[in-house]
Amino acid sequence: MGEIDLSVDLGRGLRLRSPVMVASGTFAYGFDAPAVDRTGLGAVVTKGTTLRPRHGNPPVRIAETPSGMLNAIGLQNPGVDHVVQAFAPVWARWDLPVIVNVAGDAVEDYVAIARRLDGVPGIAGLELNISCPNVEAGLQFGVDARLAGRLTQAVRQATSLPLMVKLTPNVTDLVAIARAIADAGADSLSAINTLVGMKIDVRHRRPVLENQVGGLSGPAIRPLAVRAVWEVASAVSIPVVGVGGIMTTEDALEFLLAGASAVQVGTANYVRPQAAREIRDGIATHLTEHGWSSLAALPLRAPAHV
Amino acid sequence: MIATLQAARVLERSTPMGGGVELICETPLAADVHPGQFFQVAVESPGALLRRPYSAAWTDPTRGLVGFVFNVVGAGSDWLAARNAGDRIDLLGPLGRGFAIDGGRPAVCVAGGLGIAVFIGLSNALTGRGRSTTILYGARSADQLLPAARFPKTRMQLATDDGSAGHHGRVTALLSNAIVGDADIFACGPTPMLVELVRWAQRADVRLARIQVAHETPMGCGVGTCLGCALPRAGGGYMLTCQDGPCISADLVEWTRVVDAFHG
Ligand SMILES: Cc1cc2nc3c(=O)[nH]c(=O)nc-3n(C[C@H](O)[C@H](O)[C@H](O)COP(=O)(O)OP(=O)(O)OC[C@H]3O[C@@H](n4cnc5c(N)ncnc54)[C@H](O)[C@@H]3O)c2cc1C
Ligand SMILES: Cc1cc2nc3c(=O)[nH]c(=O)nc-3n(C[C@H](O)[C@H](O)[C@H](O)COP(=O)(O)O)c2cc1C
Ligand code: FES
Repeated sequence: MGEIDLSVDLGRGLRLRSPVMVASGTFAYGFDAPAVDRTGLGAVVTKGTTLRPRHGNPPVRIAETPSGMLNAIGLQNPGVDHVVQAFAPVWARWDLPVIVNVAGDAVEDYVAIARRLDGVPGIAGLELNISCPNVEAGLQFGVDARLAGRLTQAVRQATSLPLMVKLTPNVTDLVAIARAIADAGADSLSAINTLVGMKIDVRHRRPVLENQVGGLSGPAIRPLAVRAVWEVASAVSIPVVGVGGIMTTEDALEFLLAGASAVQVGTANYVRPQAAREIRDGIATHLTEHGWSSLAALPLRAPAHV
Repeated sequence: MIATLQAARVLERSTPMGGGVELICETPLAADVHPGQFFQVAVESPGALLRRPYSAAWTDPTRGLVGFVFNVVGAGSDWLAARNAGDRIDLLGPLGRGFAIDGGRPAVCVAGGLGIAVFIGLSNALTGRGRSTTILYGARSADQLLPAARFPKTRMQLATDDGSAGHHGRVTALLSNAIVGDADIFACGPTPMLVELVRWAQRADVRLARIQVAHETPMGCGVGTCLGCALPRAGGGYMLTCQDGPCISADLVEWTRVVDAFHG
């Protein structure tokens, strides 16, 4: 399998050796997962990082649901300063890109974090989590094309780092939002973040999650995510990264065939800590079996447009 | 100690008490387990996605054995209870912090229901260190009690909800008579039992630092990557049950917030 070229280019110099990354919130900051050979990963996308440290939500924070799970972690994270001081120097010694997932309540928060991370050795790029509520507007950045475009543009001006923006599926017109973000200068898009869901404990007659609602991830959301990638990839000219319910090689290939340039594996990491590595190897085997020497050679048979 | 991913072979399945299943698994990981640590067990059932956390109830490092004792409460435990001798199960572990067992003071273990599992290995480790060990054990009824023969060299006091064995009522009612002098207290059971124990300690002027609890909560990953297993920390914020626990000194926990969270 040595000759197979699995590398992907996500723009602005962000080149990955493997198209399979680990998704935000499922790998913390890359240090904790045991039994994982990090060298097999395309990139680590970190937990959502905010300007100041956050304690996160009270428990119960997670619940399993049919073929998926709900989470309401509440962005527990040590804050950007800690990331720069304690984590980045270690990442700088890894032979593996680390993409910091950025979250905030206001455009200024995102801009301040982007400035703080710009030029820090060990940080290969940013992924904007725009599923966060905007305090001023009272709605999520990611549900409004104008808000999402404005945020992307502001961050673009604050950093020279490769900029990936992560779409939320909890919207009516994903394509319009994706276009606004691409036009505002994002280098790539990732799709999708979790869907808002709810589980009720019938015996005790109350929501299982203390936060009442949480983000649904896992195989349950995969068809939705594939559809989202297919719609978005045919509407924008920047690379799209597919995320949502990928458990196996075949799942990842679905996204690549729908038009994704790369994928992220999330919930699967909890079940099989080596999932991203296994899927990478599986993609290589698939290409070899078909006599294709690189990902670029993967013939896309999916329809070009909706 | 590095957690490892490994297939273990089921050697034996039995039902040591009413509503309880015991699986004995063969794995070299047995040698690395400290009492109170747990494994994330993969469940290969379409009805379950995530791994399920289970304490190593006991280990036999020389023969490479780990015992799990559990009850069926949902899809994961249902699948696990259907494993037979010769089947393989996929374990990730050992994980988390076990009990601190050094010291010479007498030990009092407080077990509720399936919480007894972890005391098979712990009481062995304690008595093996020459520590005087008492187990206070509560269950729904006599038929749901793990036989006392599993706890050699320990004193055992029972409580049952229906009065069919020992004290008629909760295990926490046994505390006042049993906790003598400067005993160390180890507890594992439903969260309401742990809360009750802490309230008793506060009333009885027993320092919380003398109590270690094994905390159970749903877990996403078991290794510190999902942040799903938060446990309120005394003084603010949260600990992670899978990393800072599951066995944790009771003075580090903010119990009023535990009561809110787990409706204890
Ligand atoms: C560190 C640790 C060690 C454990 N050790 C043991 C053990 O030795 N023996 C044993 O019988 N059980 C143990 N448990 C509890 C065990 O993990 C759960 O009973 C199991 O995950 C339930 O899975 P299920 O699919 O059968 O049920 P599910 O359908 O997932 O849940 C059934 C019910 O149990 C509750 N539940 C689910 N997960 C947990 C959990 N982790 N803790 C408490 N309640 C839960 C749910 O809210 C639901 O009401 C332990 C839990 C932890 C965190
Ligand atoms: C416990 C948990 C925490 C997450 N935290 C974040 C986060 O901080 N920022 C973010 O952009 N996405 C976060 N996500 C979303 C994932 O990165 C991913 O988009 C989603 O889970 C769908 O992929 P999956 O089905 O492969 O998990 C989180 C997901 C889970 C399960
Ligand atoms: S269970 Fe995932 S962090 Fe503890």
